[in-house]
Amino acid sequence: MSAIQRYLAPTTLEEALDALRESEATILAGGTDVMPQSQAGRLRLQPTLLNIRRIDELGGIALDGASIRIGALATISELLESELINERLPILAEAADHFASPQIRNAGTVGGNVCNASPAGDTLVPLIVLNAEVELASKRDGKVERRRMPLESFFAGPGRTHRAADELLTAIYVPAPAEGFVAHFAKFGTRPALDISAVSVGIGGVWRNGTFKNARVAFGAVAPTPVRGRATEGVLEGSALDAAAIGMAAAAARDEVRPISDVRASAWYRKEMIHSLTKKVLTNVADA
Amino acid sequence: MTTKTIEKNSLIGRRIPKMDAPDKASGKTRYIGDLNVSGQLYGKILRSGRIHARIVRIDTSKAKALPGVHAVITAADVPDQRPIGVNKDHMPLKGDKVRSQRDEIAAVAADSEEIAEEALKLIEVEYEDLPTIFDPRDALKPGAPLINDFKKDNVAMVFDYSHGDVAQGEAESDVVIEDSFELHYVTHCCMGVSGVIAEFDASGNLLLYSNTQVPFLHKREFAELLNIDPGRIRIIQPPIGGGFGSKLDIYPFEPIAIFLARATKRPVKLMFTREEEFLASPTRQPVILTLRSGVRKDGSLTFRTVDTLHDNGAYTSWGATTPFVMMQTFSSLYRVEHCLYKTTAVYTNNPYAGSFRGYGNLQATFAIEQHMDKLAEAIGMDPLEFRLKNAQEAGEVTGQGMHFKTCGFKDCITTAAERSDYQAKRRAYKAAQGAPGSVKRGVGIASMLHVGGGAKIYPSDGCGTILKLDDFAHVTVMTGASEIGQGSETVLAQLVCEELGVPLGSVTVVNNDTDITPWDVGVHASRTTFIAGNSAIGAARKARDKILNAAAKVSNLAAGDLDLRDGFIVRASDGQVIMPLAKMLRSLHFSDKAELVMTTHYYEPPSVHQDKGFKGDVSAAYAWATQVVEVEVDTDTGIVTLLKVWAAHDVGRVLNRLGIEGQIEGGIVMGQGYAITETLMIENGVCKNPNFRDYKLVTAPEIPEMDITFIETMDGEGPQGAKGVGEAPAICMAAAVANAIENATGTRIYKLPFTPENVYRALHPALAEAAE
Amino acid sequence: MSLTREIAFTLNGSLRNVTVPVTMTALAMLRDVLRLTGTKYGCGEGECGACTIIVDGRSVNACLMFAVDCDGRTVTTIEGVAADEASEPLRQAMVDNGAVQCGFCTPGMVMQSTWLLEQNPHASRDEIKRGLEGNLCRCTGYKKLIDAVAAVSGTNQ
Repeated sequence: MSAIQRYLAPTTLEEALDALRESEATILAGGTDVMPQSQAGRLRLQPTLLNIRRIDELGGIALDGASIRIGALATISELLESELINERLPILAEAADHFASPQIRNAGTVGGNVCNASPAGDTLVPLIVLNAEVELASKRDGKVERRRMPLESFFAGPGRTHRAADELLTAIYVPAPAEGFVAHFAKFGTRPALDISAVSVGIGGVWRNGTFKNARVAFGAVAPTPVRGRATEGVLEGSALDAAAIGMAAAAARDEVRPISDVRASAWYRKEMIHSLTKKVLTNVADA
Repeated sequence: MTTKTIEKNSLIGRRIPKMDAPDKASGKTRYIGDLNVSGQLYGKILRSGRIHARIVRIDTSKAKALPGVHAVITAADVPDQRPIGVNKDHMPLKGDKVRSQRDEIAAVAADSEEIAEEALKLIEVEYEDLPTIFDPRDALKPGAPLINDFKKDNVAMVFDYSHGDVAQGEAESDVVIEDSFELHYVTHCCMGVSGVIAEFDASGNLLLYSNTQVPFLHKREFAELLNIDPGRIRIIQPPIGGGFGSKLDIYPFEPIAIFLARATKRPVKLMFTREEEFLASPTRQPVILTLRSGVRKDGSLTFRTVDTLHDNGAYTSWGATTPFVMMQTFSSLYRVEHCLYKTTAVYTNNPYAGSFRGYGNLQATFAIEQHMDKLAEAIGMDPLEFRLKNAQEAGEVTGQGMHFKTCGFKDCITTAAERSDYQAKRRAYKAAQGAPGSVKRGVGIASMLHVGGGAKIYPSDGCGTILKLDDFAHVTVMTGASEIGQGSETVLAQLVCEELGVPLGSVTVVNNDTDITPWDVGVHASRTTFIAGNSAIGAARKARDKILNAAAKVSNLAAGDLDLRDGFIVRASDGQVIMPLAKMLRSLHFSDKAELVMTTHYYEPPSVHQDKGFKGDVSAAYAWATQVVEVEVDTDTGIVTLLKVWAAHDVGRVLNRLGIEGQIEGGIVMGQGYAITETLMIENGVCKNPNFRDYKLVTAPEIPEMDITFIETMDGEGPQGAKGVGEAPAICMAAAVANAIENATGTRIYKLPFTPENVYRALHPALAEAAE
Repeated sequence: MSLTREIAFTLNGSLRNVTVPVTMTALAMLRDVLRLTGTKYGCGEGECGACTIIVDGRSVNACLMFAVDCDGRTVTTIEGVAADEASEPLRQAMVDNGAVQCGFCTPGMVMQSTWLLEQNPHASRDEIKRGLEGNLCRCTGYKKLIDAVAAVSGTNQ
């Protein structure tokens, strides 16, 4: 039976951070991961169940100086509906459109998708491509402290992150993309959504005057965490994105990933699909 | 005085919304999970943690001690339990050993589901592992471990059929081809999970709220199982959340709930979780099939030899008997002079198969229709002409003894082909196989034959109806046939309206209580509209005769000159109203004669039992269909996208256009799932994907465009000319998609499903081999 | 016993107070505590949509929601929609278009379609298909469900 000793639904960040300081807590937002995982026994609920959904300051999607701030409680539907995201970070809207189902998009949050740390998490690949940072808040010496770290180094393994037990992920910050930045995302699957990706690929960079620069490549579901495709980036850097370059990059992508076999695909097929999706994504980027 | 006249107004062929739809669309319908009986306990089952193992010890003492637990039972607590299933090889609670992942070894009844689940965790079981069999081919090897000790080998069932002499057929052939096909596990995925409520009254009578599709057969089986008089068992069927054949057999959870109710003297409700539904409900029969076919240069078929191996799983349910249907397709879909068919069903430690819409016919059609394409290719004949040349026609009696009194097969083929522009597309897509670009298109055709007038498998294939009219001309039809979502309630009401001239709203159908409704063999074999429909018509005609005879006396007209229309008795020639029907009924009731209009009818179709060689005209009518599919294959990913399906079905006659369209559309999409998206992954006896994340049902954005044509052959025996159609639409899809993939890519794939990785592997064999 | 919490929320237009275990799903609360059985259990994992309800104007899977998280919110279930005359055209369209067979998925389909039409009153067939992608149906093949919603959005061809 449940070992939960208290349930809290604070309305301020400070209250939430106090609670995290006081005892081990399971953080709950949309519930779309915590509920099925705890029901199936894959996630052990901690003594405190901390529902952060009523903390207004954790929501919202807005420009914040040179960055776009996505509040941890922003839902996937809000990403999809946000003009700011569609205009400035369309790759994120692209991924949100392939995310689970309308009902799950309505409840599930960006912060939850990040903290769930699934190697197949749909927003993670585009956020890594966009060089996003996570903001973590804690209250250690009586005052709220915040730190930021790059999203790509936030993941420690499947379901594990570098968030300390007393920290709360408050927001994602995405630097406003440079002039000429183009990025696309593709997820392998036979359906528009309602699919856990067998593999996913995101690629972005500055595409100007026939040259692709500052390439950033990320892959989902080919390693214990979403990963950067550094070898592929190397091949792409400065390339003209012609058929030959796309072919070379796709081959590099296939060679650098080390996926496993599971019910969704064999390791071999995953590598093949990384190849195929990389080609597809690069073709989309080149067409921009 | 103006005289009112009423024209004949038929509901047949119209778009009639289902009578139960308003409640269902409002959330008012109560399914088994929505029912609660006061005083009920909650049952849960402990399943095996092993695949094949001797049970050394079970200790339930800790579970029994948990507060809120009312009973914990194992096989030792029910020494009187008897085996269930087609071969009576399946004990509800396993005491000696477990043979598969799903095996039931203990059960709990408790105050809540949570307590019951907690109690299961406290049951200690010690096992001693035994050697396993997962590949059915291994089950036949000498020295293979025995799955069921009472047998001397692992053969669960054997079917042998033949007509003609295949050696002669082979000698007469110009071309002979042979291929092996492999068909996978899929499962029903009814949206409502399985459940039951069992309750004994103070006199020991059993009331069962059950999802069964065959209440009268089950009543008898439960009586045997419990060693009580069948008269003391009443089965009430709440509306069910999907059937598709899955509820055609008794599964252990039902007797277990009964045992728990007996042990606790309390009602026990037992519901599956979705995971349990995947693990412990039946599958479609997986098959390994070798087909050898011959043809003359003139395009006439010479012979067929079929050898199939069925993975029976650990226990025998209806899946083992699918050869009854499979052999019909091989022997009789096309004219073939010589046919030899053999099936061996063998025990393994895998899940066991039950009946599932199409009953083996999807598997048989997958093989035969691919061979039709290959044979045509081999002799250089157009595949459409080849099929037309060998297609059955009305009047024929096949080698297996099936007599096709009506047969729209050739119409189905030409209609589907013309509407889809099959021939031109096939040629164009074949020519484009080598064109640049990774996305290819293809069209494929497949046809099917299925029973459409019941199937005489049991001693009777009949259905009873009791019909009564009240003083206000409201009709109650008590039928043995169950409504499982397919719309039988509405069709039966329509057929009765046609006879009695009353509006649909004046009919109530009672179809879910064995204490009230007369016997029916069950909802299977696409038989309900045909058999229950004829039965309802029979009862309604008797009532009509009674009413018209009475009306003749008061109107001074002959009964034959009268008609019933829109709630009135009218003169047939001009529709002139004579009197309201209700008034006539009241005058019968309250006159000196004091008569109520109540009738009964039992309809037994004019079909016959097959002999020991499986020969005989087993159904009163046969349904035919052709489906053409158009697909897109992405050779870079192996993704097959189903674009459009053209379906032409010989349905005898359309009774409810809305309902029949729904059956065909739903069947097509179920067939699409079988072909392309669904697979129950069983690895070493363990189901790897017992959830909708990884068991992929087709979703709304994936459905093809559908073009459906009904071929109306007006079957002489059918109710208003109709034939059964429930299973037909799912049958052709996998075969048609296989042929379409070949047309698109030049690659023929003999193994289902056509999931992206499987197709990619088949399209790039060198890459796949290099990786291994 | 597990920890419980008293919550108050608007359910189908009326304020409800109820005490629930903190780990209970909104689905279990609706079905087992409040005895509103129109919302169905199909999978418990948010994969089938049979338990779709509308919370604060958005459709969600009741099986993925903690019951305690209903506190202070506005929840609408099929019982609420069935009692709402404004939803009659949609329910009637489901009936008239033959969108109902076994009917088990239908309440979830009605709820999701209600939300979809609120968002997008003139949804196209393709938008309807995407809108229903989180709702599984094993009987109908979806076409008549799409027809029904399209009949209301006015986009049937």
